[in-house]
Amino acid sequence: MIEATASRSESAPPMAAPAATGESPVRVGRPVVDVSGVDKIYANGTIALQGADLTIRQGEFVSLLGPSGCGKSTLLRIMAGLGDVSRGTVKWWEQDYSVVGQKGRKLAFVFQNATLMPWARVRKNVRLPLDLAHERGPEAEAKIDRALAMVGLSAFGDAYPRELSGGMQMRASIARAMVTEPDLLLMDEPFGALDEMTRNKLNDDLLELWQAKGWTVVFVTHSVYEAVYLSNRVVVMAARPGRIVDDVSIDVPYPRGADFRVSTEFAAYCRQVSKSLELASRQGREVRS
Amino acid sequence: MKRPLLENERFVQIAAPLFVGLLFLLLWELVVQANDIQPYILPGPVAIAKAFVEDAGILFQGLLMTLKVTFLAFAIAVVLGTAASLLFVQSRWIEVSLFPYAVLMQVTPIVAIAPLIIIWVKDTTWALTVCAVIIAIFPIISNTTLGLRSVDPNLLAMFRMYRAGRWQQLIRLRIPSALPYFFGGMRISTGLALIGAVVAEFVAGTGGSKAGLAYLILQSGYNLKIPRMFAALALITLTGIVLFALMVWISDRVLRNWHESALKVEQ
Repeated sequence: MIEATASRSESAPPMAAPAATGESPVRVGRPVVDVSGVDKIYANGTIALQGADLTIRQGEFVSLLGPSGCGKSTLLRIMAGLGDVSRGTVKWWEQDYSVVGQKGRKLAFVFQNATLMPWARVRKNVRLPLDLAHERGPEAEAKIDRALAMVGLSAFGDAYPRELSGGMQMRASIARAMVTEPDLLLMDEPFGALDEMTRNKLNDDLLELWQAKGWTVVFVTHSVYEAVYLSNRVVVMAARPGRIVDDVSIDVPYPRGADFRVSTEFAAYCRQVSKSLELASRQGREVRS
Repeated sequence: MKRPLLENERFVQIAAPLFVGLLFLLLWELVVQANDIQPYILPGPVAIAKAFVEDAGILFQGLLMTLKVTFLAFAIAVVLGTAASLLFVQSRWIEVSLFPYAVLMQVTPIVAIAPLIIIWVKDTTWALTVCAVIIAIFPIISNTTLGLRSVDPNLLAMFRMYRAGRWQQLIRLRIPSALPYFFGGMRISTGLALIGAVVAEFVAGTGGSKAGLAYLILQSGYNLKIPRMFAALALITLTGIVLFALMVWISDRVLRNWHESALKVEQ
Protein backbone atom coordinates (compact mmCIF):
# COMPACT_ATOMS: atom_id res chain seq x y z
CA MET A 1 0.00 0.00 0.00
CA ILE A 2 2.75 2.36 0.90
CA GLU A 3 4.43 1.40 -2.36
CA ALA A 4 1.22 2.14 -4.20
CA THR A 5 1.06 5.61 -2.73
CA ALA A 6 4.69 6.27 -3.41
CA SER A 7 4.51 5.12 -6.99
CA ARG A 8 1.48 7.31 -7.56
CA SER A 9 3.07 10.46 -6.29
CA GLU A 10 6.17 9.71 -8.35
CA SER A 11 4.26 9.12 -11.51
CA ALA A 12 2.12 12.18 -10.98
CA PRO A 13 4.42 14.94 -9.76
CA PRO A 14 1.90 17.79 -10.25
CA MET A 15 -0.12 16.26 -7.45
CA ALA A 16 2.63 17.16 -5.06
CA ALA A 17 1.74 20.83 -5.36
CA PRO A 18 -1.61 20.77 -3.54
CA ALA A 19 -0.11 18.36 -1.04
CA ALA A 20 2.28 21.03 0.03
CA THR A 21 -0.38 23.64 0.71
CA GLY A 22 -1.83 22.31 3.91
CA GLU A 23 -3.37 19.02 2.77
CA SER A 24 -0.09 17.34 3.52
CA PRO A 25 -0.37 14.34 5.79
CA VAL A 26 2.59 15.60 7.71
CA ARG A 27 1.16 16.79 10.99
CA VAL A 28 2.54 20.24 11.40
CA GLY A 29 -0.59 22.31 11.98
CA ARG A 30 -1.49 23.76 15.33
CA PRO A 31 -3.62 21.49 17.50
CA VAL A 32 -7.28 22.51 17.22
CA VAL A 33 -8.73 19.91 19.53
CA ASP A 34 -6.65 17.82 21.84
CA VAL A 35 -8.24 14.91 23.66
CA SER A 36 -6.01 13.14 26.11
CA GLY A 37 -6.70 10.15 28.31
CA VAL A 38 -10.44 10.65 28.10
CA ASP A 39 -12.86 8.14 29.62
CA LYS A 40 -16.58 8.53 29.38
CA ILE A 41 -18.61 6.32 31.69
CA TYR A 42 -22.37 6.75 31.80
CA ALA A 43 -24.33 6.56 35.02
CA ASN A 44 -25.55 3.07 34.14
CA GLY A 45 -21.96 1.85 34.02
CA THR A 46 -21.56 1.72 30.24
CA ILE A 47 -18.03 2.56 29.25
CA ALA A 48 -18.64 4.63 26.15
CA LEU A 49 -15.03 5.65 25.77
CA GLN A 50 -11.81 4.47 27.35
CA GLY A 51 -8.44 6.13 27.25
CA ALA A 52 -9.07 8.19 24.15
CA ASP A 53 -6.05 10.14 22.93
CA LEU A 54 -6.49 12.18 19.79
CA THR A 55 -5.11 15.41 18.45
CA ILE A 56 -6.84 17.13 15.56
CA ARG A 57 -4.64 19.67 13.84
CA GLN A 58 -5.35 22.79 11.83
CA GLY A 59 -6.65 22.02 8.34
CA GLU A 60 -7.05 18.28 8.79
CA PHE A 61 -9.99 16.25 7.62
CA VAL A 62 -10.28 13.44 10.14
CA SER A 63 -12.87 10.69 10.10
CA LEU A 64 -13.88 8.73 13.17
CA LEU A 65 -14.81 5.29 11.90
CA GLY A 66 -16.22 2.33 13.77
CA PRO A 67 -19.22 0.10 14.45
CA SER A 68 -22.21 1.18 16.50
CA GLY A 69 -21.36 1.61 20.15
CA CYS A 70 -17.68 2.35 19.59
CA GLY A 71 -18.07 5.79 21.10
CA LYS A 72 -17.38 7.76 17.94
CA SER A 73 -20.39 10.02 18.41
CA THR A 74 -19.59 10.35 22.09
CA LEU A 75 -16.06 11.41 21.24
CA LEU A 76 -17.37 13.94 18.73
CA ARG A 77 -19.81 15.39 21.24
CA ILE A 78 -17.02 15.69 23.77
CA MET A 79 -14.99 17.58 21.18
CA ALA A 80 -18.00 19.86 20.72
CA GLY A 81 -18.14 20.48 24.44
CA LEU A 82 -21.58 18.85 24.54
CA GLY A 83 -20.72 16.29 27.17
CA ASP A 84 -18.61 16.06 30.30
CA VAL A 85 -15.75 13.63 30.46
CA SER A 86 -15.37 11.14 33.31
CA ARG A 87 -11.58 11.32 33.21
CA GLY A 88 -8.93 13.05 31.14
CA THR A 89 -8.76 16.47 29.54
CA VAL A 90 -9.92 18.18 26.38
CA LYS A 91 -8.27 21.31 25.03
CA TRP A 92 -9.52 23.60 22.31
CA TRP A 93 -6.80 25.62 20.59
CA GLU A 94 -4.62 24.54 23.52
CA GLN A 95 -6.97 26.19 26.00
CA ASP A 96 -10.20 25.40 27.82
CA TYR A 97 -13.73 25.52 26.42
CA SER A 98 -14.24 29.19 27.23
CA VAL A 99 -12.20 30.23 24.17
CA VAL A 100 -14.59 28.43 21.83
CA GLY A 101 -16.67 30.93 19.89
CA GLN A 102 -14.04 33.64 19.79
CA LYS A 103 -12.76 34.86 16.46
CA GLY A 104 -10.66 32.20 14.76
CA ARG A 105 -11.92 29.65 17.28
CA LYS A 106 -15.44 29.05 16.09
CA LEU A 107 -16.96 25.65 16.19
CA ALA A 108 -19.96 24.25 14.37
CA PHE A 109 -21.73 20.93 14.69
CA VAL A 110 -23.79 19.08 12.11
CA PHE A 111 -26.08 16.45 13.55
CA GLN A 112 -27.09 13.09 12.16
CA ASN A 113 -30.53 14.43 11.31
CA ALA A 114 -30.81 17.87 9.86
CA THR A 115 -32.12 19.13 13.24
CA LEU A 116 -33.83 22.14 11.73
CA MET A 117 -36.54 24.11 13.48
CA PRO A 118 -39.66 22.92 11.64
CA TRP A 119 -41.55 26.15 12.36
CA ALA A 120 -38.96 28.39 10.72
CA ARG A 121 -38.20 28.89 7.06
CA VAL A 122 -34.82 27.75 5.74
CA ARG A 123 -33.38 31.24 5.85
CA LYS A 124 -34.42 31.71 9.44
CA ASN A 125 -32.93 28.34 10.34
CA VAL A 126 -29.65 29.25 8.69
CA ARG A 127 -29.48 32.61 10.44
CA LEU A 128 -30.07 31.12 13.88
CA PRO A 129 -26.41 31.17 15.00
CA LEU A 130 -26.20 34.83 13.99
CA ASP A 131 -29.47 35.64 15.74
CA LEU A 132 -28.22 34.00 18.90
CA ALA A 133 -25.09 36.13 18.72
CA HIS A 134 -27.22 39.24 18.08
CA GLU A 135 -25.63 39.75 14.67
CA ARG A 136 -27.91 41.75 12.40
CA GLY A 137 -27.72 44.08 9.46
CA PRO A 138 -26.52 43.83 5.88
CA GLU A 139 -23.33 42.01 6.84
CA ALA A 140 -25.29 39.24 8.51
CA GLU A 141 -27.64 39.03 5.53
CA ALA A 142 -24.65 38.71 3.21
CA LYS A 143 -23.29 35.86 5.34
CA ILE A 144 -26.61 34.06 5.10
CA ASP A 145 -26.74 34.57 1.34
CA ARG A 146 -23.23 33.16 1.03
CA ALA A 147 -24.00 30.15 3.19
CA LEU A 148 -27.16 29.37 1.22
CA ALA A 149 -25.31 29.79 -2.06
CA MET A 150 -22.51 27.48 -0.94
CA VAL A 151 -24.91 24.61 -0.40
CA GLY A 152 -26.97 25.47 -3.48
CA LEU A 153 -30.10 26.50 -1.60
CA SER A 154 -30.28 30.15 -2.65
CA ALA A 155 -33.69 29.62 -4.18
CA PHE A 156 -35.10 27.83 -1.13
CA GLY A 157 -34.66 30.40 1.62
CA ASP A 158 -38.40 30.85 1.97
CA ALA A 159 -39.24 27.16 2.06
CA TYR A 160 -40.13 25.34 5.24
CA PRO A 161 -37.89 22.40 6.13
CA ARG A 162 -40.65 19.88 5.55
CA GLU A 163 -40.97 21.04 1.96
CA LEU A 164 -37.38 19.96 1.26
CA SER A 165 -36.00 16.53 0.48
CA GLY A 166 -33.73 14.80 3.00
CA GLY A 167 -30.62 15.83 1.08
CA MET A 168 -31.74 19.45 0.90
CA GLN A 169 -32.55 19.50 4.60
CA MET A 170 -29.03 18.28 5.26
CA ARG A 171 -27.68 21.05 3.02
CA ALA A 172 -29.68 23.59 5.01
CA SER A 173 -28.20 22.14 8.17
CA ILE A 174 -24.70 22.49 6.73
CA ALA A 175 -25.46 26.06 5.66
CA ARG A 176 -26.47 26.83 9.24
CA ALA A 177 -23.16 25.39 10.45
CA MET A 178 -21.24 27.44 7.90
CA VAL A 179 -22.95 30.75 8.45
CA THR A 180 -20.71 31.54 11.39
CA GLU A 181 -17.69 30.77 9.20
CA PRO A 182 -16.43 28.12 11.62
CA ASP A 183 -12.84 27.08 12.05
CA LEU A 184 -13.70 23.63 13.29
CA LEU A 185 -16.57 21.69 11.79
CA LEU A 186 -17.78 18.59 13.63
CA MET A 187 -20.11 16.30 11.70
CA ASP A 188 -21.94 13.34 13.18
CA GLU A 189 -22.84 10.92 10.38
CA PRO A 190 -24.35 13.79 8.47
CA PHE A 191 -25.13 11.83 5.32
CA GLY A 192 -26.01 8.52 6.95
CA ALA A 193 -29.69 8.71 6.11
CA LEU A 194 -29.24 9.70 2.46
CA ASP A 195 -29.13 7.63 -0.68
CA GLU A 196 -25.74 6.89 -2.19
CA MET A 197 -26.01 9.33 -5.11
CA THR A 198 -26.91 12.24 -2.86
CA ARG A 199 -24.26 11.17 -0.39
CA ASN A 200 -21.51 11.12 -3.02
CA LYS A 201 -22.56 14.50 -4.30
CA LEU A 202 -22.56 16.00 -0.82
CA ASN A 203 -19.21 14.37 -0.09
CA ASP A 204 -17.69 16.12 -3.09
CA ASP A 205 -19.34 19.41 -2.19
CA LEU A 206 -18.05 19.12 1.33
CA LEU A 207 -14.49 18.44 0.19
CA GLU A 208 -14.63 21.38 -2.16
CA LEU A 209 -15.76 23.69 0.61
CA TRP A 210 -13.21 22.31 3.02
CA GLN A 211 -10.44 23.00 0.55
CA ALA A 212 -11.72 26.47 -0.21
CA LYS A 213 -12.29 27.51 3.39
CA GLY A 214 -9.35 25.95 5.17
CA TRP A 215 -11.53 24.39 7.86
CA THR A 216 -10.62 21.64 10.18
CA VAL A 217 -13.20 18.86 9.92
CA VAL A 218 -13.94 15.90 12.16
CA PHE A 219 -16.38 13.56 10.49
CA VAL A 220 -18.07 10.58 12.11
CA THR A 221 -19.12 7.75 9.83
CA HIS A 222 -19.56 4.00 9.79
CA SER A 223 -18.75 3.74 6.11
CA VAL A 224 -15.20 2.68 5.31
CA TYR A 225 -15.53 4.05 1.78
CA GLU A 226 -16.78 7.42 2.89
CA ALA A 227 -14.02 7.71 5.49
CA VAL A 228 -11.25 6.83 3.04
CA TYR A 229 -12.65 9.01 0.29
CA LEU A 230 -12.97 12.11 2.43
CA SER A 231 -10.22 12.12 4.98
CA ASN A 232 -6.54 12.58 5.26
CA ARG A 233 -6.73 10.65 8.53
CA VAL A 234 -9.03 7.80 9.46
CA VAL A 235 -9.27 7.13 13.18
CA VAL A 236 -10.48 3.56 13.64
CA MET A 237 -12.50 2.80 16.74
CA ALA A 238 -13.83 -0.36 18.37
CA ALA A 239 -16.68 -1.10 20.74
CA ARG A 240 -17.05 -2.51 24.27
CA PRO A 241 -15.35 -0.56 25.60
CA GLY A 242 -15.34 2.26 23.07
CA ARG A 243 -11.73 3.02 22.19
CA ILE A 244 -9.39 4.20 19.48
CA VAL A 245 -7.49 1.33 17.90
CA ASP A 246 -5.80 2.74 14.82
CA ASP A 247 -4.97 5.97 13.05
CA VAL A 248 -4.50 5.58 9.30
CA SER A 249 -3.13 8.37 7.11
CA ILE A 250 -4.67 8.55 3.66
CA ASP A 251 -1.83 10.09 1.72
CA VAL A 252 -3.70 11.02 -1.40
CA PRO A 253 -3.78 14.61 -2.62
CA TYR A 254 -6.98 16.52 -3.15
CA PRO A 255 -9.10 17.09 -5.15
CA ARG A 256 -10.09 13.44 -5.25
CA GLY A 257 -12.57 12.95 -8.04
CA ALA A 258 -14.74 10.06 -9.09
CA ASP A 259 -11.62 8.38 -10.45
CA PHE A 260 -10.24 8.00 -6.97
CA ARG A 261 -13.33 6.04 -5.91
CA VAL A 262 -12.48 3.29 -8.42
CA SER A 263 -8.70 3.39 -8.14
CA THR A 264 -6.64 0.50 -6.80
CA GLU A 265 -5.16 2.91 -4.32
CA PHE A 266 -8.60 3.60 -2.90
CA ALA A 267 -9.29 -0.13 -2.71
CA ALA A 268 -5.98 -0.70 -0.95
CA TYR A 269 -6.74 1.92 1.69
CA CYS A 270 -10.22 0.52 2.19
CA ARG A 271 -8.72 -2.93 2.67
CA GLN A 272 -6.22 -1.63 5.21
CA VAL A 273 -8.88 0.22 7.20
CA SER A 274 -11.30 -2.73 7.05
CA LYS A 275 -8.57 -5.05 8.28
CA SER A 276 -7.89 -2.73 11.15
CA LEU A 277 -11.58 -2.69 12.05
CA GLU A 278 -11.80 -6.46 11.88
CA LEU A 279 -8.70 -6.97 13.97
CA ALA A 280 -10.09 -4.66 16.63
CA SER A 281 -13.39 -6.47 16.81
CA ARG A 282 -11.60 -9.83 17.05
CA GLN A 283 -9.44 -8.55 19.90
CA GLY A 284 -12.59 -7.35 21.57
CA ARG A 285 -14.09 -10.82 21.37
CA GLU A 286 -10.95 -12.39 22.80
CA VAL A 287 -10.93 -9.98 25.69
CA ARG A 288 -14.54 -10.84 26.49
CA SER A 289 -14.16 -14.62 26.21
CA MET B 1 -68.13 12.26 -12.93
CA LYS B 2 -71.86 11.57 -12.77
CA ARG B 3 -72.15 12.67 -9.16
CA PRO B 4 -69.37 15.22 -8.64
CA LEU B 5 -70.99 16.59 -5.48
CA LEU B 6 -70.68 13.28 -3.68
CA GLU B 7 -67.02 13.09 -4.60
CA ASN B 8 -66.33 16.51 -3.15
CA GLU B 9 -64.64 15.82 0.18
CA ARG B 10 -65.73 19.11 1.77
CA PHE B 11 -69.33 18.68 0.73
CA VAL B 12 -69.48 15.14 2.09
CA GLN B 13 -67.86 16.23 5.35
CA ILE B 14 -70.61 18.76 5.96
CA ALA B 15 -73.54 17.03 4.31
CA ALA B 16 -73.17 13.57 5.81
CA PRO B 17 -73.41 14.54 9.50
CA LEU B 18 -76.08 17.12 8.64
CA PHE B 19 -78.14 14.42 6.99
CA VAL B 20 -77.82 12.14 10.01
CA GLY B 21 -78.84 15.00 12.29
CA LEU B 22 -81.91 15.87 10.25
CA LEU B 23 -82.90 12.21 10.08
CA PHE B 24 -82.62 11.99 13.86
CA LEU B 25 -84.77 15.12 14.35
CA LEU B 26 -87.37 13.82 11.95
CA LEU B 27 -87.53 10.48 13.75
CA TRP B 28 -87.78 12.27 17.08
CA GLU B 29 -90.68 14.41 15.87
CA LEU B 30 -92.43 11.37 14.43
CA VAL B 31 -92.10 9.40 17.68
CA VAL B 32 -93.43 12.36 19.69
CA GLN B 33 -96.37 12.87 17.29
CA ALA B 34 -97.22 9.20 16.91
CA ASN B 35 -97.28 8.50 20.64
CA ASP B 36 -98.83 11.81 21.51
CA ILE B 37 -96.13 12.56 24.07
CA GLN B 38 -96.83 15.73 26.03
CA PRO B 39 -94.34 18.58 25.61
CA TYR B 40 -93.64 18.68 29.38
CA ILE B 41 -92.39 15.10 29.16
CA LEU B 42 -90.56 15.25 25.86
CA PRO B 43 -91.06 18.11 23.41
CA GLY B 44 -90.51 17.46 19.72
CA PRO B 45 -88.05 19.45 17.65
CA VAL B 46 -90.86 21.60 16.30
CA ALA B 47 -91.96 22.65 19.80
CA ILE B 48 -88.36 23.38 20.71
CA ALA B 49 -87.93 25.49 17.60
CA LYS B 50 -91.07 27.37 18.53
CA ALA B 51 -89.66 28.03 22.00
CA PHE B 52 -86.48 29.31 20.34
CA VAL B 53 -88.46 31.94 18.49
CA GLU B 54 -90.84 32.85 21.31
CA ASP B 55 -88.17 33.10 24.02
CA ALA B 56 -85.44 34.48 21.78
CA GLY B 57 -85.05 37.51 24.03
CA ILE B 58 -84.32 35.78 27.33
CA LEU B 59 -82.41 32.96 25.64
CA PHE B 60 -80.11 35.45 23.96
CA GLN B 61 -79.61 37.32 27.22
CA GLY B 62 -78.79 34.08 29.00
CA LEU B 63 -76.39 33.10 26.26
CA LEU B 64 -74.62 36.43 26.55
CA MET B 65 -74.12 35.96 30.30
CA THR B 66 -72.84 32.43 29.92
CA LEU B 67 -70.54 33.45 27.09
CA LYS B 68 -69.18 36.30 29.17
CA VAL B 69 -68.25 33.97 32.00
CA THR B 70 -66.89 31.37 29.58
CA PHE B 71 -64.64 33.79 27.73
CA LEU B 72 -63.44 35.49 30.89
CA ALA B 73 -62.62 32.13 32.46
CA PHE B 74 -60.96 30.84 29.31
CA ALA B 75 -58.81 33.95 28.93
CA ILE B 76 -57.74 33.82 32.56
CA ALA B 77 -57.07 30.08 32.33
CA VAL B 78 -54.86 30.58 29.27
CA VAL B 79 -52.90 33.43 30.82
CA LEU B 80 -52.48 31.87 34.26
CA GLY B 81 -51.97 28.36 32.89
CA THR B 82 -49.27 29.47 30.48
CA ALA B 83 -47.60 31.51 33.21
CA ALA B 84 -47.65 28.48 35.51
CA SER B 85 -46.10 26.29 32.80
CA LEU B 86 -43.38 28.81 32.12
CA LEU B 87 -42.67 28.86 35.83
CA PHE B 88 -42.60 25.05 36.00
CA VAL B 89 -39.99 24.67 33.28
CA GLN B 90 -37.70 27.20 34.92
CA SER B 91 -36.72 24.73 37.56
CA ARG B 92 -37.34 21.12 38.38
CA TRP B 93 -37.84 22.15 42.01
CA ILE B 94 -40.70 24.50 41.25
CA GLU B 95 -42.42 21.92 39.10
CA VAL B 96 -42.03 19.10 41.60
CA SER B 97 -43.28 21.32 44.43
CA LEU B 98 -46.28 22.82 42.66
CA PHE B 99 -47.49 20.35 40.05
CA PRO B 100 -49.27 18.08 42.55
CA TYR B 101 -51.40 21.07 43.55
CA ALA B 102 -52.39 21.67 39.96
CA VAL B 103 -53.55 18.05 39.88
CA LEU B 104 -55.31 18.51 43.20
CA MET B 105 -57.23 21.42 41.74
CA GLN B 106 -58.17 19.33 38.74
CA VAL B 107 -59.54 16.37 40.71
CA THR B 108 -61.52 18.42 43.23
CA PRO B 109 -65.18 18.26 42.16
CA ILE B 110 -66.17 21.80 41.25
CA VAL B 111 -69.74 21.17 42.35
CA ALA B 112 -68.50 20.58 45.87
CA ILE B 113 -66.45 23.76 46.18
CA ALA B 114 -68.60 26.09 44.09
CA PRO B 115 -70.83 27.05 47.07
CA LEU B 116 -67.72 28.08 49.02
CA ILE B 117 -66.43 30.19 46.16
CA ILE B 118 -69.81 31.82 45.80
CA ILE B 119 -69.72 32.73 49.49
CA TRP B 120 -66.18 34.07 49.26
CA VAL B 121 -66.48 36.00 46.02
CA LYS B 122 -69.18 38.66 46.32
CA ASP B 123 -69.70 39.44 42.65
CA THR B 124 -71.63 36.62 40.97
CA THR B 125 -69.99 36.93 37.59
CA TRP B 126 -66.56 36.68 39.17
CA ALA B 127 -67.61 33.80 41.42
CA LEU B 128 -68.77 31.83 38.38
CA THR B 129 -65.61 32.81 36.52
CA VAL B 130 -63.38 31.53 39.33
CA CYS B 131 -65.18 28.17 39.27
CA ALA B 132 -64.82 27.91 35.50
CA VAL B 133 -61.12 28.85 35.66
CA ILE B 134 -60.47 26.08 38.19
CA ILE B 135 -61.89 23.56 35.73
CA ALA B 136 -60.41 25.03 32.55
CA ILE B 137 -56.86 25.73 33.65
CA PHE B 138 -55.50 22.22 34.07
CA PRO B 139 -55.32 21.15 30.40
CA ILE B 140 -53.47 24.37 29.64
CA ILE B 141 -50.95 23.81 32.43
CA SER B 142 -50.32 20.13 31.75
CA ASN B 143 -50.18 20.40 27.96
CA THR B 144 -48.06 23.53 27.83
CA THR B 145 -45.63 22.17 30.41
CA LEU B 146 -45.32 18.97 28.39
CA GLY B 147 -44.77 21.03 25.24
CA LEU B 148 -42.15 23.27 26.77
CA ARG B 149 -40.25 20.13 27.79
CA SER B 150 -40.66 18.38 24.44
CA VAL B 151 -37.75 20.07 22.78
CA ASP B 152 -35.54 18.27 20.26
CA PRO B 153 -32.48 17.48 22.42
CA ASN B 154 -30.14 18.08 19.49
CA LEU B 155 -31.62 21.52 18.87
CA LEU B 156 -31.22 22.25 22.55
CA ALA B 157 -27.60 21.10 22.41
CA MET B 158 -27.06 23.38 19.44
CA PHE B 159 -28.57 26.34 21.27
CA ARG B 160 -26.23 25.66 24.17
CA MET B 161 -23.29 25.35 21.83
CA TYR B 162 -24.02 28.76 20.38
CA ARG B 163 -24.28 29.98 23.96
CA ALA B 164 -27.92 30.94 23.79
CA GLY B 165 -29.25 32.49 26.98
CA ARG B 166 -32.27 31.21 28.89
CA TRP B 167 -34.44 33.85 27.32
CA GLN B 168 -33.33 33.03 23.78
CA GLN B 169 -33.91 29.34 24.47
CA LEU B 170 -37.40 30.10 25.70
CA ILE B 171 -38.45 32.44 22.90
CA ARG B 172 -36.78 30.75 19.97
CA LEU B 173 -36.97 27.11 20.95
CA ARG B 174 -39.23 26.15 23.83
CA ILE B 175 -42.26 28.27 23.00
CA PRO B 176 -42.44 27.32 19.31
CA SER B 177 -41.95 23.65 20.24
CA ALA B 178 -44.76 23.93 22.78
CA LEU B 179 -47.30 25.56 20.44
CA PRO B 180 -48.95 22.37 19.13
CA TYR B 181 -49.35 21.10 22.70
CA PHE B 182 -50.62 24.48 23.85
CA PHE B 183 -53.31 24.51 21.17
CA GLY B 184 -54.27 20.97 22.11
CA GLY B 185 -54.76 22.21 25.66
CA MET B 186 -56.82 25.16 24.41
CA ARG B 187 -59.21 22.87 22.56
CA ILE B 188 -60.01 20.95 25.73
CA SER B 189 -59.99 24.06 27.86
CA THR B 190 -62.66 25.99 25.93
CA GLY B 191 -65.16 23.18 26.41
CA LEU B 192 -64.27 22.95 30.09
CA ALA B 193 -64.63 26.71 30.56
CA LEU B 194 -68.16 26.47 29.19
CA ILE B 195 -68.99 23.45 31.35
CA GLY B 196 -67.49 25.25 34.35
CA ALA B 197 -69.60 28.34 33.72
CA VAL B 198 -72.77 26.28 33.44
CA VAL B 199 -72.09 23.99 36.40
CA ALA B 200 -71.17 26.91 38.65
CA GLU B 201 -74.35 28.69 37.73
CA PHE B 202 -76.38 25.59 38.52
CA VAL B 203 -74.91 25.62 41.99
CA ALA B 204 -75.15 29.36 42.43
CA GLY B 205 -78.65 29.55 41.04
CA THR B 206 -78.32 33.24 40.33
CA GLY B 207 -81.41 34.85 38.95
CA GLY B 208 -82.29 38.34 37.83
CA SER B 209 -80.44 40.30 35.25
CA LYS B 210 -77.34 38.14 35.64
CA ALA B 211 -79.07 34.89 34.75
CA GLY B 212 -77.20 32.71 32.29
CA LEU B 213 -78.33 29.69 30.33
CA ALA B 214 -77.96 27.34 33.29
CA TYR B 215 -80.35 29.36 35.41
CA LEU B 216 -82.74 29.43 32.48
CA ILE B 217 -82.64 25.63 32.36
CA LEU B 218 -83.34 25.42 36.09
CA GLN B 219 -86.18 27.90 35.90
CA SER B 220 -87.72 26.27 32.86
CA GLY B 221 -87.56 22.95 34.66
CA TYR B 222 -89.40 24.33 37.72
CA ASN B 223 -92.04 25.89 35.48
CA LEU B 224 -92.39 22.80 33.33
CA LYS B 225 -91.44 24.85 30.28
CA ILE B 226 -89.56 21.91 28.93
CA PRO B 227 -89.30 23.13 25.30
CA ARG B 228 -87.48 26.24 26.53
CA MET B 229 -85.24 24.04 28.64
CA PHE B 230 -84.32 22.05 25.55
CA ALA B 231 -83.76 25.24 23.61
CA ALA B 232 -81.31 26.51 26.25
CA LEU B 233 -79.59 23.15 26.31
CA ALA B 234 -79.23 23.18 22.52
CA LEU B 235 -77.76 26.65 22.74
CA ILE B 236 -75.11 25.51 25.24
CA THR B 237 -74.18 22.56 23.04
CA LEU B 238 -74.02 24.74 19.98
CA THR B 239 -71.80 27.24 21.79
CA GLY B 240 -69.44 24.44 22.79
CA ILE B 241 -69.19 23.22 19.21
CA VAL B 242 -68.56 26.72 17.86
CA LEU B 243 -65.86 27.36 20.47
CA PHE B 244 -64.16 24.07 19.66
CA ALA B 245 -64.29 24.80 15.92
CA LEU B 246 -62.83 28.23 16.59
CA MET B 247 -59.90 26.70 18.48
CA VAL B 248 -59.27 24.19 15.70
CA TRP B 249 -59.33 27.01 13.19
CA ILE B 250 -56.88 29.15 15.15
CA SER B 251 -54.52 26.26 15.72
CA ASP B 252 -54.64 25.31 12.02
CA ARG B 253 -53.93 28.89 11.03
CA VAL B 254 -50.91 29.13 13.27
CA LEU B 255 -49.45 25.67 12.65
CA ARG B 256 -50.39 25.12 9.04
CA ASN B 257 -46.91 25.66 7.67
CA TRP B 258 -45.08 23.17 9.71
CA HIS B 259 -46.95 20.95 12.12
CA GLU B 260 -48.28 17.55 11.10
CA SER B 261 -51.62 18.22 12.77
CA ALA B 262 -52.41 21.09 10.41
CA LEU B 263 -50.96 19.76 7.18
CA LYS B 264 -53.03 18.73 4.24
CA VAL B 265 -51.14 15.77 2.87
CA GLU B 266 -51.41 15.18 -0.85
CA GLN B 267 -51.44 11.54 -1.71
